[in-house]
Amino acid sequence: MKYDFVVIGAGVSGLTSAITLAKSGYRVALVEKSERTAPVLRGFSRKGVHFDTGFHYTGGLAPGEPLDIFFRYLGISDRVTSFPFDTEGFDVFRCENPGFEFRVPAGYARLRERLCEAFPVEAKAIDSYLGMVKAVCASMPYLNLDAEVDTGFALRRVLGATLKETLDSLTGNELLKSVLSMHSLLYGVSSCEVSFTQHAAIVGNYYDSARGIRGSGLSLVNAFDERLKLLGVDLFCGAEVTRVLVDAQGAVAGVELASGAALSCPACIATVHPRVLLDLAPEGAFRPAYRKRLGALEETVSAFMAYAVSTAPIASLAGSNLFLLPEADCLNRLGQSPLDKAPFYLSAAYREGGGDPSGYIAIFPSLFKETAAWEGSSSGRRPEEYRQFKKEALSIMQRRIERVCPEIAGNLQYLEGSTPLTLRDFCSTPYGGLYGVKHMVGQYNPQTSTKLRGLYLAGQAVVSPGVMGAVLSGLLACGTILGHDRMRKELKACC
Amino acid sequence: MTDQEIIKQINSSLAEEFEFALGDMTPETTLFEDMGLDSLDVVDLVIVLETAFGMKIREEEAIRQIRTLGDIHSFVINKKRQMESA
Repeated sequence: MKYDFVVIGAGVSGLTSAITLAKSGYRVALVEKSERTAPVLRGFSRKGVHFDTGFHYTGGLAPGEPLDIFFRYLGISDRVTSFPFDTEGFDVFRCENPGFEFRVPAGYARLRERLCEAFPVEAKAIDSYLGMVKAVCASMPYLNLDAEVDTGFALRRVLGATLKETLDSLTGNELLKSVLSMHSLLYGVSSCEVSFTQHAAIVGNYYDSARGIRGSGLSLVNAFDERLKLLGVDLFCGAEVTRVLVDAQGAVAGVELASGAALSCPACIATVHPRVLLDLAPEGAFRPAYRKRLGALEETVSAFMAYAVSTAPIASLAGSNLFLLPEADCLNRLGQSPLDKAPFYLSAAYREGGGDPSGYIAIFPSLFKETAAWEGSSSGRRPEEYRQFKKEALSIMQRRIERVCPEIAGNLQYLEGSTPLTLRDFCSTPYGGLYGVKHMVGQYNPQTSTKLRGLYLAGQAVVSPGVMGAVLSGLLACGTILGHDRMRKELKACC
Repeated sequence: MTDQEIIKQINSSLAEEFEFALGDMTPETTLFEDMGLDSLDVVDLVIVLETAFGMKIREEEAIRQIRTLGDIHSFVINKKRQMESA
């Protein structure tokens, strides 16, 4: 089979890439090793309640905002219905020590107002911070369609000041710093490591607006799937790419599948974890320096998660997420605390068909080493000792959730959990990274181009995690191929 | 380390990680034309230097100015001296 492009991996970045290339007139194959597209985005159901695993809410999706424009460009906006989270508190920050609660409102102006009410003497720091976040978003390629696409932005994410350094230079108020760092739970990197630029490029979208999607991640996957079909993309599921093939001139010639079949193409976009890419690329395709760099990339924190069904509706989670912090400075050491002292994040789970939240998803950032003792085991065949460990972890999480959120205590009907090992196997991240490869100061993540002619990269390692980061990375990779001016012009036509 | 030792270390690290022949490497050698590097390689260049000398390089502007192997030599020598006097 001959294609113009083969896209490896049908997560959001792969789906975005395949659709963009197909709508530009190319013959495209999309290859996914799971049985269906975007397994992480699909989530799962228990007792009639749907639990999201890859998507809970997003920033930048209100009409006219970047993700809305991208969805329109991809031709999926008619099939996706979004709704605003509580505009007076889409996220609730709750600190145990000292006791403090802050409700994050939508919109920079309202956020400024609310922050200044909570921290009256910090108005100057708040203004500086919000101004800096806005400036970063305005300078990020594709997030702002007028921003220059150059290496400057990528370098600032690696060479610039960390979030903590930046906040320390603005204020001495630990609680304020903590509120401004709370969204690090959404990208899984401690405030001591993430660059301010990277943090701002992600949170800036949430400060504009926070929205959910009706039918959640699953309806987003369905929209992508329908679009693929309409555009005539050949989808190969349950097919793992084992090798990228090169021709005598050293350029991409195709991909080989685990079945032994080959798809020939002069170019492909790989959206796999960079370490997985090293196994696919032929010997000698990359210089030793590049191989070492990809091989040494660190991943974000991993996590323990709890999925609960409640006998009573959980009103406090309707349109709001809860961020629970045991101490104000705990985001400086994300993933380092034991489960009974870790910060965590709670999001609503809904019965199929809607209504008030009928359950919750809790995410407790943690390190992979917590479950490293059983890393040789695979899903469904874990030893008894691991099962006991997981049961204990789940009960610690439940006790903590009920202690700090008494409003949801006592109504538990069903509880399931996952560990860093589950994440490793489910998300195809070698060390169970909750958000894949991390973006931090001093770590150079791969760019969309590679030294292997015809091989391009997309995925969360390239831009940032989340649906926004994955879509951006797909667009950026296609822009590298088709020309950024052309892509941006077409995107602007969707504004 | 003397300047000569630093230069020797830079050249041998680059030769190994970028598969260059040591004999082709002079201070006048240009990275982009002579050595065939492109903007994608600059990042790996920085990491090779960071690893070889145990330093963190965060000088965006200085990195952008580098054109020749000699520029790399001076950059690292200056940076080492700054670290020693700090």
